[in-house]
Amino acid sequence: MSLENLTQDWSRYRNGIEEGGFHNYEHRWGMAIDLNACIGCNACSTACYAENNLAVVGKERFSKGHYMHWMRIERYWDEDQAKAEFPDQGANFLPMLCQQCGAAPCEPVCPVAATYHTPDGLNAQVYNRCIGSRYCSNNCPYRVRYFNFWSYPESAWPAPLNLQLNPDITVRDKGVMEKCTFCVQRIRVAKDTAKMENRKIKDGEFTTACAQACPTSAIHFGDLMDAESAVTKLWAKHQVKRHDDEGLPVSTQHKQNPALRGYRVLEELNTDPSVMYLERVREELA
Amino acid sequence: MRWIQLDRAKREPARQGCGALLVALALVWAMPASADTAAPASIKYPVAPEGAHAGKDVAQPIEFPHDIHTAVNKINCLYCHTYARRSKVAGIPPTSKCMGCHSVIATDKPRIKQLTEYWEKKQPVPWKKVHDVPDFVHFTHEKHLKKFIFDNDELVQNLSVDTVAPVCAACHGDLRTMTVAKKIKPMTMGWCVSCHEKNGGPGDCWACHK
Repeated sequence: MSLENLTQDWSRYRNGIEEGGFHNYEHRWGMAIDLNACIGCNACSTACYAENNLAVVGKERFSKGHYMHWMRIERYWDEDQAKAEFPDQGANFLPMLCQQCGAAPCEPVCPVAATYHTPDGLNAQVYNRCIGSRYCSNNCPYRVRYFNFWSYPESAWPAPLNLQLNPDITVRDKGVMEKCTFCVQRIRVAKDTAKMENRKIKDGEFTTACAQACPTSAIHFGDLMDAESAVTKLWAKHQVKRHDDEGLPVSTQHKQNPALRGYRVLEELNTDPSVMYLERVREELA
Repeated sequence: MRWIQLDRAKREPARQGCGALLVALALVWAMPASADTAAPASIKYPVAPEGAHAGKDVAQPIEFPHDIHTAVNKINCLYCHTYARRSKVAGIPPTSKCMGCHSVIATDKPRIKQLTEYWEKKQPVPWKKVHDVPDFVHFTHEKHLKKFIFDNDELVQNLSVDTVAPVCAACHGDLRTMTVAKKIKPMTMGWCVSCHEKNGGPGDCWACHK
């Protein structure tokens, strides 16, 4: 492979919106997460652990921030709640995973191009290239990149637990960064199957592990380039638009109509996330 | 119990088919060995990646002669490695497939006696893997075979071991000239990518890295 080819490919996908970005995605995998439906049960997180060979690091390492959960449930409380009789109650849940940004802050800072943008609109992490500089993690506004500070496989999956590992995804070792892939192994299987059958991928043909496990169907997954997909329709319904869709200027990205629930986290950073959240409707206390 | 009768009715022709196949194979066996292993010149093949590799000899439990099966008896690669066209891996045939022929063919040969021993003990032959890509690589046989064999109309019309083998040979070397298989192609990332560039395969890292 010529170096020229590589750099051309990368620069194509790495452009920010200021430079026109990359508007020619084959697919753009996206999500819509309904916070009205989310009950904070952590099934998505558990499913992710099982699907993506995530190591359980133990209490001590967890407290040092060495956790590996690609999908986590963030909890937020209203200020008044601290004074309530049971201050732990009444949390607002927000499942946080890699937002697969269209103009990802993690990509341009990687010194070895281990993270790059795929034609599917995903932020890919190539474990073999990663040298563990952790620039990407420090530049991620969502804090969804996780670093292997230790070698976990032997402690996390002592025999015979190693037999539960998913063979379709690498078991990462010490010194590499990892992150949510939107279950790229499932995407790959769906694409392979569709190609073998000479057809396009159907909406709902496959989904990510988190969406599959969600008991309240709060997570919707699909192709944003497919005008007929459920996710595209949800995005359109809540008037959330991708940057590559009509080349929107930054200012129009902010929600105009308060009656619409759709928003993207930290949208003002202009990262063009592929995950849309639907705001939780709450009773307004006078 | 009607379903049993139906089942039997369905099976009957299959059994006859099996018998016919055995007869055909026996006929093939009796035919004189042919030195002609060239594919028709009109069939277009992909540009194979360059590069050689001096693989180690892999000692197999039975010294399986690929050359006798393919070059002499003209058995299609896909007859035994049948999973190649419909799954990620090409697969090793089950012993029952070997015994399909070898319960009647060449039963007096020492290697077949070895095979029969495994069969009678109901044990799989512990074949050793020769071509192995690292665990972090996603490779599917089915897509490669679709592109290079089944989407090549002219090849499909002349489907035989001599037309199929050059496709397999791009990565595995020409098994028609080997007894037990040996790795003679580099199977490195650069080698894979050079073929992807020549034949229009994906250049995306995540197409293969998983």
